[in-house]
Amino acid sequence: MTLEQFKAVWQKAQAAIEANEKHFSELDAATGGDGDHGTAIVAAVRAINKAEGDDFPTLLADMAEKLETEASGSTSSLYGSWLEGMADAAPKGATELDADQLAEVFEAGFDEICCMTKARQGDKTMMDALQPATEALVAAKGEGEAAMFAAAAKAAREGSNATAQLQAKFGRAKNLGERSIGAIDAGSASMATVFEAFVG
Amino acid sequence: MPMKKFLNDPANLTAEMLEGLALAYSSKVKIVNERIVVRAQPKAQDKVALVCFGGTGHEPAMHGFVGEGMADAAVAGDVFAAPGGPKVFEALEMLNRPAGVILLTLNHNGDRMSARKALRLAEKAGLNVKEIIVQEDIAPGIDADPEDRRGLGGCIPLMKVMGAACEAGKSIDEVLEIGKAFHSHLATLSVALKVATHPQNGEPIGALADDEMEIGMGQHGEGGGGIMKVQTADETARIMVDRLVQATGLQSGDRALLVINGSGATTTMEMLICYRAAAKCLAEKGITLMDGIADELLTVQEMAGFQMILAKVCPTCEALLKAKANTPYWTCNG
Repeated sequence: MTLEQFKAVWQKAQAAIEANEKHFSELDAATGGDGDHGTAIVAAVRAINKAEGDDFPTLLADMAEKLETEASGSTSSLYGSWLEGMADAAPKGATELDADQLAEVFEAGFDEICCMTKARQGDKTMMDALQPATEALVAAKGEGEAAMFAAAAKAAREGSNATAQLQAKFGRAKNLGERSIGAIDAGSASMATVFEAFVG
Repeated sequence: MPMKKFLNDPANLTAEMLEGLALAYSSKVKIVNERIVVRAQPKAQDKVALVCFGGTGHEPAMHGFVGEGMADAAVAGDVFAAPGGPKVFEALEMLNRPAGVILLTLNHNGDRMSARKALRLAEKAGLNVKEIIVQEDIAPGIDADPEDRRGLGGCIPLMKVMGAACEAGKSIDEVLEIGKAFHSHLATLSVALKVATHPQNGEPIGALADDEMEIGMGQHGEGGGGIMKVQTADETARIMVDRLVQATGLQSGDRALLVINGSGATTTMEMLICYRAAAKCLAEKGITLMDGIADELLTVQEMAGFQMILAKVCPTCEALLKAKANTPYWTCNG
């Protein structure tokens, strides 16, 4: 994946997220959050897309920086950690990442986000999309970039859809207890949308 | 029903609100670097500084309590969204001094994440910063893990106590000790009658039927589990006082601070009627009250309801609560 392709993916993600802004807010409200995930994730991808950089580590670090200085809320903090972890793992000067490097970068991003939150798959958060997507992406690295992202996007969406059956254990929705069961977690749904933007 | 509020472009809500605060109270506060509210006249460098932060939409909290006797700076995020870690760090760096800086963090996931990042940056930069976490909500039960307790309106009297201790020239460890001691006998419980509207997307936050109220609803309209039929002021106050007294460990002969903190659409009349009801319940239990508050400290847009805040006060804390303060929304002659 080249740097230009990576930037184009995030533009595509922004368009898809903007088109679903209301949907994400409705999911957030339905699961007991404050109903503003749509606003939060749109602000986050817009901040991400203001970033500049001539190689992967610089661009990724600037994405994290833009997120945390220009946007607010836990969505931005979590995406900021994810991208910061990726930035640290991307080889200096790299303008293209091969399959092995992509796997390493996504794994490092996941590790960093794990330092920021105790939430994991099953807690009805964005981790229900990110964790299976990262695992699927790494597992498919022998099959090349296209297969990796196809597997990741599929795992992310399946993980997100499965949150409908879960009870929230993190974030503001956790206070709702059993009433949070029934709707899909908004953060996992938007995370799946981001992974789908990586598919050709 | 479409949202009915006096707003301009929803994207500029926070910036315009802060600008209004600085214009209305120009002798008390000013805005620096867009999102940081600081005192118009900074405190002496040899005194400990107190920094707080949080999402907006809860006015007058937190930025309305910057000024002499309370906070030195408040970092505003966006509506119901905490400012990012680097922005909080900016304020810590700005207030850094040999006496030290205390960061006051409300226990909400987003706030804790930003604090963690800010403290990590502060440590790297060699700043003398210590943190106090506010987690006094008793909605999850009085034996609940503190990590599951949210930080609610009790943060404001806590900020008053700690701010006055800073002003009195206490060391950073002394201020923290005073704050933690006050917090250990501080409890808040909320009740809502009608949910609020999110000012950026116009959508209702949460849902309550016309004949229902909810005890324990959080300060973003998120559910709290205690839905019941609407009760009278006296009955509601009794349910809440019983739980709060148990949580604070108040006993006959103790002295307390009682605050009825309106959520935004509760009239002063209702707040005073609820204050009366709670004060009577406390008197029956032999608990005496210092001067309290029936007003809006930390709101949730136009949510109807209130947070009942109860704290056991020792003579030191009572003196600190009465000490001089000159902020936009809490003033005392001392």
